[in-house]
Amino acid sequence: MLGRVDVKAIVIGEQPRLGFLRTLRITVDGIRYRLFRALVTVAVIAVAVAFLMNILSEGIIKRAVAANTRERIALNREVHRWSARLTTPTDRDTLLALLATAEDGDPLLEDARQFGGLTPGELAALRTAAAEARVYGETIERMNYAYRRRILRGATGAAAFDTLASPDGWSVFIDGVREITGVRLPFPASDLEAFAATWPAVREKLVRIRAGQADAIATLRAMRRERPIMEALADADGAFGEAIRAAGFHLDASQAPHLAAQAQREIDLRFVERSIDLRTPRQTVARAYDILPGDVTLPRLWRYLADRTNAARYLDALAEEDARPDHFSVARLQELSAFRREAALLERAERRTADMGEGWMGLGARMGWLLLVSMLVCGIGIANAMLMAVTERFREIATLKCLGSLDGFILLMFVMESCILGLIGGLAGGLIGALIGTGRMLVAFGAVAVPALSLGALTQGFLASLIVGIILAALAAVYPSFRAARLAPMEAMRVE
Amino acid sequence: MSTSVLVPEASAPARAEGGGGRRVIIRTVGLKKIYVKKGVRTEALCGLDVEVYSGEFISVMGPSGSGKSTFFNMIGALDSPTVGRVFIDEVDVAQLTAEELAYLRCQKIGYIFQSYNLIQYMTALENVTTPMAFGGVPPDEARRRGMDILGIVGLADRWFHRPIEMSGGQQQRVAIARSLANEPAILLCDEPTANLDIDTGQEILDILRRLNIEKHVTVICATHDHRMMNICDRLMWIRDGQIERVARRDEVKVRVGRIGGQTSGAAGAGERKA
Ligand SMILES: Nc1ncnc2c1ncn2[C@@H]1O[C@H](COP(=O)(O)OP(=O)(O)OP(=O)(O)O)[C@@H](O)[C@H]1O
Ligand SMILES: [Mg+2]
Repeated sequence: MLGRVDVKAIVIGEQPRLGFLRTLRITVDGIRYRLFRALVTVAVIAVAVAFLMNILSEGIIKRAVAANTRERIALNREVHRWSARLTTPTDRDTLLALLATAEDGDPLLEDARQFGGLTPGELAALRTAAAEARVYGETIERMNYAYRRRILRGATGAAAFDTLASPDGWSVFIDGVREITGVRLPFPASDLEAFAATWPAVREKLVRIRAGQADAIATLRAMRRERPIMEALADADGAFGEAIRAAGFHLDASQAPHLAAQAQREIDLRFVERSIDLRTPRQTVARAYDILPGDVTLPRLWRYLADRTNAARYLDALAEEDARPDHFSVARLQELSAFRREAALLERAERRTADMGEGWMGLGARMGWLLLVSMLVCGIGIANAMLMAVTERFREIATLKCLGSLDGFILLMFVMESCILGLIGGLAGGLIGALIGTGRMLVAFGAVAVPALSLGALTQGFLASLIVGIILAALAAVYPSFRAARLAPMEAMRVE
Repeated sequence: MSTSVLVPEASAPARAEGGGGRRVIIRTVGLKKIYVKKGVRTEALCGLDVEVYSGEFISVMGPSGSGKSTFFNMIGALDSPTVGRVFIDEVDVAQLTAEELAYLRCQKIGYIFQSYNLIQYMTALENVTTPMAFGGVPPDEARRRGMDILGIVGLADRWFHRPIEMSGGQQQRVAIARSLANEPAILLCDEPTANLDIDTGQEILDILRRLNIEKHVTVICATHDHRMMNICDRLMWIRDGQIERVARRDEVKVRVGRIGGQTSGAAGAGERKA
């Protein structure tokens, strides 16, 4: 009894913090013990992140495909643009757009200047006016048609400016604008009035340019006599090329061979597509597919020609009809077929990417909306999984608190756990989403999608969705574990 | 608040002080705990005023549902009372910050829960070393000390087992070992021998007794085990959330046969067993 004088005194001191690594070890032990449960959580996170990544990767690839196809189609159509330029003067609206948007040094600008006989200063003034016209033109274009009919006689573009510049055109317009509440000008009306006043001068210059073009076109037409323009262009790297330059069109010497080859290809394509109307070639193809000659379509023909022996057979059929051009070979036919099928793919890709908009990562409004919804689904899924994972461990939290853990330790433990689960789930989901997205795009666009696949953009999307997954998981774990950590241990133990 | 039941205690403090000016280490004032569940109020404790002296060994007895566990949670700073205060070494528990509470729970009080509350994913050794880790003991020393303590409760060769791989009694011994991890000044034991056979139970009682005598640990022990009467300094009976009776051990012996009813009967049974 006497020995009990030196009883243990209770002095309340500072509770040390558990190190990061030891917390991590305890956390990992916990995850390993509940491996199945953890895997389910990871799966939920993975699915959510995969969904997100799928949408992101499809958006990224689709966007790249859109840009790529547009470029390649433009390239393939170069010869069509030239044939248009060499046969009709540019219409005023196109000319205005060109003047407004072409960059300095664009050869088309120089062409226009020479055709119009303008000084460089005049060209610069014209370009400024065109840029202004573009702004006004866009506003007019967006107007409701009924209003536009009333105040501009329904005209758009250059015709609208004609109307504005005509006697009492302006007063009709400005009265209409004041009267109709649905019409609002995003610029001062006086600016437009000033522009309308200068429009006749601008128009006169446009007319001069067009007249110059018409002269050059007439010269060229006389020079190629009755030859179709495409055939003439097949000679773009020869005499006709010289003639084009002589007439005042800017044709790069390095561009000429491409143009000639493209023109030749167009002629050959037309030839093959017409040759199917001949009896023997048509029957050859019909026999190969075991169909009636009347059912032979152009896509079938091009598919048929992709094969070597088929192409050879087709050449024979042409020869039998005495219609085989000298320069046609098996290889040429195959080449034409490959080009045709690729062009079909490109056209399909162009149609399918027509809805691609701007906005973040080029997702456009519709994709942005989809992404938002998917984020919501993703967030709710992850939050639910983590909430369950934390709630069912309130008893463990309570016990740890009884043993003297700090609130911060419990919070850190759960944040760590959710980050680990989020990381694993995010990696798996990101990979799955990227694979599915890429696969779907490859199916949708075929070979056209391959050059559009960019590892850099996909990695960015992958990282973005991974981070979203981790952050959502961590946030979802923080709230319930913070609540549990702050309760008295036995209160936490009573929570069901 | 009815204090009339405390009458028998009136003489007890005086006698205890004769042991050499001991401090009151736990004091409760008007302690009440009311659980509200689905609109039903359960008064688990209805106004307890208790004093526990430093270095004392107290047995808390009472029928099932009388509020023993609830009382332990209160004095162990594990739960907040609805009304009333708990002082541990004259410090009002309600005034402590979260960090100070953690320190108190970790370093100064050892708990043996009725339902063990072991961490399921930790081995026996890890369960014992976790409070040490929270207390800042380096891992190697924690392991060494943990093995020593497991040796004391006779589980040194099963240190690597997880709770589900052990019997109820073994889990209880792990829980006991864990409560001793940081050499607490107060040991709260909620039926520490409930699942043990007679021999092991006796060993545990001996350990508790030794800690009490050699290390001056204050032991508060809820139990239905009447062997406890042989080693405790005082006994406390709780019934329906109220102190029914508090008495020193020698008083109980003296009173056997004089007081009728269940209390003396229980005490008598304890006598016979011992
Ligand atoms: N979370 C709770 N919600 C509602 N009532 C509770 C809760 N916990 C305990 N009680 C009630 O409080 C009273 C006291 O419970 P307590 O667990 O303290 O009893 P006990 O003396 O430890 O019993 P035992 O010897 O069986 O362990 C009981 O009537 C019980 O029903
Ligand atoms: Mg109990």
